[in-house]
Amino acid sequence: MAIVNLQNVTYKYPLTQTAVLQNINLQVNEGEFVAVIGPNGAGKSTLCYAIAGFVPHFFKGEMSGTVEVAGVESAKSSLSEWVLNVGLAFQNPFNQISGAKYTVFEELAFGLENIGVPRDEMPERVERAMRLTGISALADRSPYSLSGGQQQRVALASILVMQPKVLVLDEPTSQMDPIGTREVFGVIRTLAENGMTVILVEHKVEWIAEFAGRVIALHDGQILMEGKPAEVLTSDALAEKGFGISRYTSTARAARTAGLWKKANLPVTLDEAAEGFAK
Amino acid sequence: MRERLSYYIKRDSALHRLNPLTKIILTLGILLVSLISPGYWTAHALLIFAIVPLSFLGRIWREFFSSAIRLIIPAAGFIFLMQAFFQPLGETVIFKFWVLDVTQESLAFAFRISTRITVMISAFTLFLLTTHPSELMSDLTRRGLPGQFAYVIISSLQILPQMQSKARTIISAQRSRGLDTESTFLCRVGSIVPLVGPLVFGSLVEVEERAIAIEARGFTSTHVKTSLHEIADTKFDKTLRWVLLALVILSLVWKIWQL
Amino acid sequence: MFEKMKKDFTTMTWVLIPVAIAINIAVGQIVVLLKLPVYLDSIGTVLVGIICGPWAGALTGALSNTIWGLFNPDSLPWWPVAFFIGLVAGLCANAGWFKSWPKVILSGFLIALTAAIVSTPISVYLYGGITASGSSFITAYLLQTGQGVLSAVLSTGFLVEPVDKITTAMLAFAIVQGLSKRLLARFPRPENAEVEQGSSSSQLVTALIVAVVVIALGFFVRNMLAG
Repeated sequence: MAIVNLQNVTYKYPLTQTAVLQNINLQVNEGEFVAVIGPNGAGKSTLCYAIAGFVPHFFKGEMSGTVEVAGVESAKSSLSEWVLNVGLAFQNPFNQISGAKYTVFEELAFGLENIGVPRDEMPERVERAMRLTGISALADRSPYSLSGGQQQRVALASILVMQPKVLVLDEPTSQMDPIGTREVFGVIRTLAENGMTVILVEHKVEWIAEFAGRVIALHDGQILMEGKPAEVLTSDALAEKGFGISRYTSTARAARTAGLWKKANLPVTLDEAAEGFAK
Repeated sequence: MRERLSYYIKRDSALHRLNPLTKIILTLGILLVSLISPGYWTAHALLIFAIVPLSFLGRIWREFFSSAIRLIIPAAGFIFLMQAFFQPLGETVIFKFWVLDVTQESLAFAFRISTRITVMISAFTLFLLTTHPSELMSDLTRRGLPGQFAYVIISSLQILPQMQSKARTIISAQRSRGLDTESTFLCRVGSIVPLVGPLVFGSLVEVEERAIAIEARGFTSTHVKTSLHEIADTKFDKTLRWVLLALVILSLVWKIWQL
Repeated sequence: MFEKMKKDFTTMTWVLIPVAIAINIAVGQIVVLLKLPVYLDSIGTVLVGIICGPWAGALTGALSNTIWGLFNPDSLPWWPVAFFIGLVAGLCANAGWFKSWPKVILSGFLIALTAAIVSTPISVYLYGGITASGSSFITAYLLQTGQGVLSAVLSTGFLVEPVDKITTAMLAFAIVQGLSKRLLARFPRPENAEVEQGSSSSQLVTALIVAVVVIALGFFVRNMLAG
């Protein structure tokens, strides 16, 4: 049963002529982990905003088609209700800190206070979200005093604490160093294992190959290709259209032309490449 | 340009334990009485019999006196001098300085105004030393202040130091590129744009993402907001607030009586 | 009216206000550092007035002084002045007076008048006319020449405020012009910032001439009051 259901979604930002999303049809099942890839300007962030309700509620503009989550249509709901269905985290961890709170613990409770969760339920929910994201030790620190990776985990925890049905992550590691990236993907792995429905926009294809059950390739506002990571991420069409692909894939592709890669499928990760070349 | 934005000193005292609203009313009460009351010695009396004892009651007298020496006394002293020299009051000249007369009357006026300023700043300082901003905001929100105000106040307090450190970075970066910020008047005027531009545009561009982030956390939710912290409001608090209100009204009556 | 007011307070407005407060204070401090004879401590307030309406501007001003008061207690009593600066800036913008350079100067002048008028009673009642600000030397001089407190403070205000507030209004206008249309459209009143047709550089020149005339007029008024 699809929990997220986009039907013929076309969208234009205000003051612009071209549609950033063109006739998008997308279904995501409960507990599924879907990755979205695409070159700059493909409409990935806009797709995230559409699922998270910010398109059209926050950005206005013209939208046609329907976005449904758990059977409710976003255009018929209000943004403040919609965020209870879909949680959104994005690139810049610094801008995701509310600024209204002095400690990480209070920062996580900010959303709960806003939606009127009774006081006695708060500590338990906050602590659970902190455990899930591995930030329990930071509870009394100021969110501004943390590293990028820690801040991004606080941002994730601040969304998770609201218990959304679907989590939308828009390039959560694009501004992280390798350590921060590993920290954040550690959290994403935990979420995936706990059966959370996740839609992840990401450039780092090696990580996608590890987590995603399905990959969606977005190009010029349209879905170009959809399928298993191993198929989509190694497809020749992707490389031609300027998608970011794994260096192992491109190396193996070059090796294949030279007759040095013998396997039928191209690799995405280092392990696959090593295994393939070893043969 | 470095200023600390949180004066709060975490300590356990009777003043700390007062409800934040009571402390606001206490501060405003002292402020208003010193402003309204027509008695010449009111401000002096408040300083000795209210401000000083409160600083001991709050167990923050050391911090209070240090900020008094650093901030309050220089400000009040400056105002005292300005008033003493420039107020064209009275006839009893004590001494002359260039074209300026310092009279007995202008000295008396200066003493009153500068003490009043001292009392007002001191009351405010005591309030800041003993009240945590988030406690204050939680309490006011609980009493019906829209939650957005708490957001605005506390995020201003947190953004300002960031902006100031960004300003320092921009100033030193532009100076190292040869921007003249010190010589002639025209040079200094000309340097406003390269200093202010990057600071302002950088922070305005962030507004959209920050709005999305808090929106994603139910900022505009129509549910009645709750609060993580429970803030005590005792019977004593309520009584004290009424007493303070009565004192303000009393000084108002005194003022009208005098007219 | 209440409904209209509520419409101006979107999440964008609430997020912009703290940023504008920080801009007021940080820019005000840069100006002190550059030792310029102006304050320029309400650029953020005027900015909010333009793109989020008069009440948001007023709130920004009032809170700005309160927060500045935390480390510069002298700015605290002046919050009503800042409140009215934001309010008048917003009203001017709603009237379409932030759409071309000459109109911006006019708005700056109106803001200056407001500031001078609102600050007078505060200055007189709280400080007997002699405040901690540098412009008090002018007031002091006028007092020594035998002027009454009220007229001395008011004419000092009329003398000092126009330069500062016209510059503030022009800088705020320049900032709004520098924002992308896309970003502007997110705020409640983007239409207040649409530039009118006409060559902007010749407008700027006219505007500067108007500004000089206005300031000269200020001197004239002061002399009249003094005489």
